[in-house]
Amino acid sequence: MTTEIITAPQRQRRPLILWAGLILVGLHVFAGLLSLIWLPYDPTAMAGGRLEGPSLLHWVGTDRLGRDLFTQMMIGSRIALTVGLGAVAIGAVIGVTLGILSAFATRWLDDALAATLDILIAFPTLLIAMLVVAASDTANLWSAIIALGIALSAIVARLTRILAKRVLVMDYITAARTSGSSWPKIVAIHILPNIWPTLAVNFALQFGLAVIAEASLSYLGLGAPPPNASWGRILQEAQGTVYTAPLGAIAPGIALVSLAIGVNLLADGLRDFIDPTRRAR
Amino acid sequence: MTTKTLLLAALLAGISLPATVLAQEANPDASIRIGSLYEPQNLDNTAGAGQGINEAFNGNVYEALFQLTDAGAVEPKLVDSYEASEDGLTYTFKLKPGVTFHSGDPLTAADVKYSIERVTAEASKSSRKKSLSTITGIETPDDQTVVITLSARSISLPYNLSYVWIVNDAATDITATEDGTGPYTLGEWRRGSALALERNDAYWGDAPTNGEVIYTYFTDATALNNALLTNAVDIITSVQSPDSLAQFQGNSPYTVTEGASTTKEILAYNDRVAPFDNVKVRKALARATDKARLLNSIWGEYGTLIGSFVPPTDPWYVDLTSVDAYDVDSAKALLAEAGYPDGFEFTLDTPDYDPHPIVAQFLQSEYAKIGVKVNINIITANEWYTKVYQAHDFQATLQEHVNHRDIVFYGNPDFYWGYNNPEVVKLIADSESAATEAEQTEKLTEANKLIAEDAASNWLYLYPQIVVSATNVTGYPVNGLNSQFYAYDIQKSE
Repeated sequence: MTTEIITAPQRQRRPLILWAGLILVGLHVFAGLLSLIWLPYDPTAMAGGRLEGPSLLHWVGTDRLGRDLFTQMMIGSRIALTVGLGAVAIGAVIGVTLGILSAFATRWLDDALAATLDILIAFPTLLIAMLVVAASDTANLWSAIIALGIALSAIVARLTRILAKRVLVMDYITAARTSGSSWPKIVAIHILPNIWPTLAVNFALQFGLAVIAEASLSYLGLGAPPPNASWGRILQEAQGTVYTAPLGAIAPGIALVSLAIGVNLLADGLRDFIDPTRRAR
Repeated sequence: MTTKTLLLAALLAGISLPATVLAQEANPDASIRIGSLYEPQNLDNTAGAGQGINEAFNGNVYEALFQLTDAGAVEPKLVDSYEASEDGLTYTFKLKPGVTFHSGDPLTAADVKYSIERVTAEASKSSRKKSLSTITGIETPDDQTVVITLSARSISLPYNLSYVWIVNDAATDITATEDGTGPYTLGEWRRGSALALERNDAYWGDAPTNGEVIYTYFTDATALNNALLTNAVDIITSVQSPDSLAQFQGNSPYTVTEGASTTKEILAYNDRVAPFDNVKVRKALARATDKARLLNSIWGEYGTLIGSFVPPTDPWYVDLTSVDAYDVDSAKALLAEAGYPDGFEFTLDTPDYDPHPIVAQFLQSEYAKIGVKVNINIITANEWYTKVYQAHDFQATLQEHVNHRDIVFYGNPDFYWGYNNPEVVKLIADSESAATEAEQTEKLTEANKLIAEDAASNWLYLYPQIVVSATNVTGYPVNGLNSQFYAYDIQKSE
């Protein structure tokens, strides 16, 4: 009876969070995809006057060069999503592989890997990303994605290692091993299905981190070079005019925050949806 | 004006009136905090220190035989008197007596010889080195007399000597220390953030009206403006965007002045390499640039279009904005004539600080209209110096050139942009051997026109020089000639 009372409101609240997340992320996905086939203006065209306010022609106004900000925001959505997906994909491939290897490895190799990962995690994501970008010859979108992917992989690897280790001590793993299953088979059949819900939620959170980190890199001039309209760079360029045309800085800020909150809500909602241990019975 | 603002401020703040009146008296030991965007790379102006070292040290720590005043006149400084021979090939300078260096050594003719040779030396990276190349000998008949012999007349020798810091010949390394004769000595220098100058109580001339000067360095204009708004600095030497002025105009206790600038924003091509070795290509790009629009984008109502490298404060200024005026159709036609009917692609090395990245995007957008693709490569100021200025390893770059009378750079084929027109080289050389200033002006005006016709570089616009200070700070220079910033007359009431 008591369980019923506690879980009933949760059932209503959770889908709401999931929906809110889906809507926020969905808006960005829509804007990003739309930007591939249609944009209000050519992003480099100086279509309006200097620092125009919002109008029917320019929904969030124009920048110093008279370029339409809404167009740049749409491209910003696309870049943010690309970076988020790319970085998480790279982080997932490297991280899950390393994590599983570490879980299966001999004691000393596992210890060495775990220590290395801990050291990597101790560095802020942004710092590692900056090092990778600075080491590459020219800054571009891919160097940012790869840098962030590498930075994120450490966290994924450690999580995977812990989750995999927890599964490895289960009786059914022993049973599978004694019945002669190969390691790849055990990973594919037993480990990954058991750990993926937690990993998926983590990926969503990492996605949000990657988006913010890319904006930070671009803000610092280490992201994709102009004219790639990353939100971070729009923010940076609007910084000098924030008193006379505040919308130029507010708009990319709102976009960034809404996507970051969106993926966090989505992750939250998703966790309750796919994680059997948290699902209301 | 000042009194009014202060009275108003006092009333608003509820401070009693007598206190305000007392506070208005300048504090002779005041610490003047100057906010700047130009941190020197080192402390030696012959070692590629950048414009920041001129701002901090010219006239403040080091002095020269002559001084370029804020109004643009050349006046004797460490020279007591001088005379030129009839043929203009021998100059005799008498030094001011009683001048000592910060280390205590007296100023002698040997120091002057050493200092000039430092600038003309093989290893010197001074951008003014070439202008002193006519010097064939420096004699020091006695401690107070310097005799300079020239291979050819040099009408602007006194002017050029105003760039030559007089350094104690006993000083070995002045990239991190100093030994000058100026009204300030070097205090603490914290690389990356601040450089302090302390009043030199043994100064030979009039004592500064303040106790110390601290240059605080910022990497972006917004942080610089905020520093003034939060009273972390007293003056900002050059406002970088018109939009930030809104914070200082009107109700705030700040003084805004607009003076004459010599800072030119230019798109410099590497004229040695294809396609920029082709004058038609350069002219085409010049015609494809809507400079009025660019200036408006960056500076709003401020700034000037000049159409050449010569600002109106140089004697040989002529309005050349009509040469290669904005005309996209003729730009396309010129490109086709030059053999690039479908355009081409080039990399634009863009310093990472404002306004260069936004200017780069403007050009990228403009040149796309004539089929020219611009790849923007963002680099730091240090990279610019090594890659572009030293190694000439670039196709095109953006840079702000701050010097006064620096058209002579186009007479040096080894300069980073590699412009080499024998006629211009000759005119600029001849202008130096002119017997009168009128003749010099005539030759340089001619050279200026030729350089503009060759579209040697793309001169985008001339910066306005806007200084903003707290109203309790007065006496600072308002013009931006050579990015000098004489600090010794600044007063601050507290």
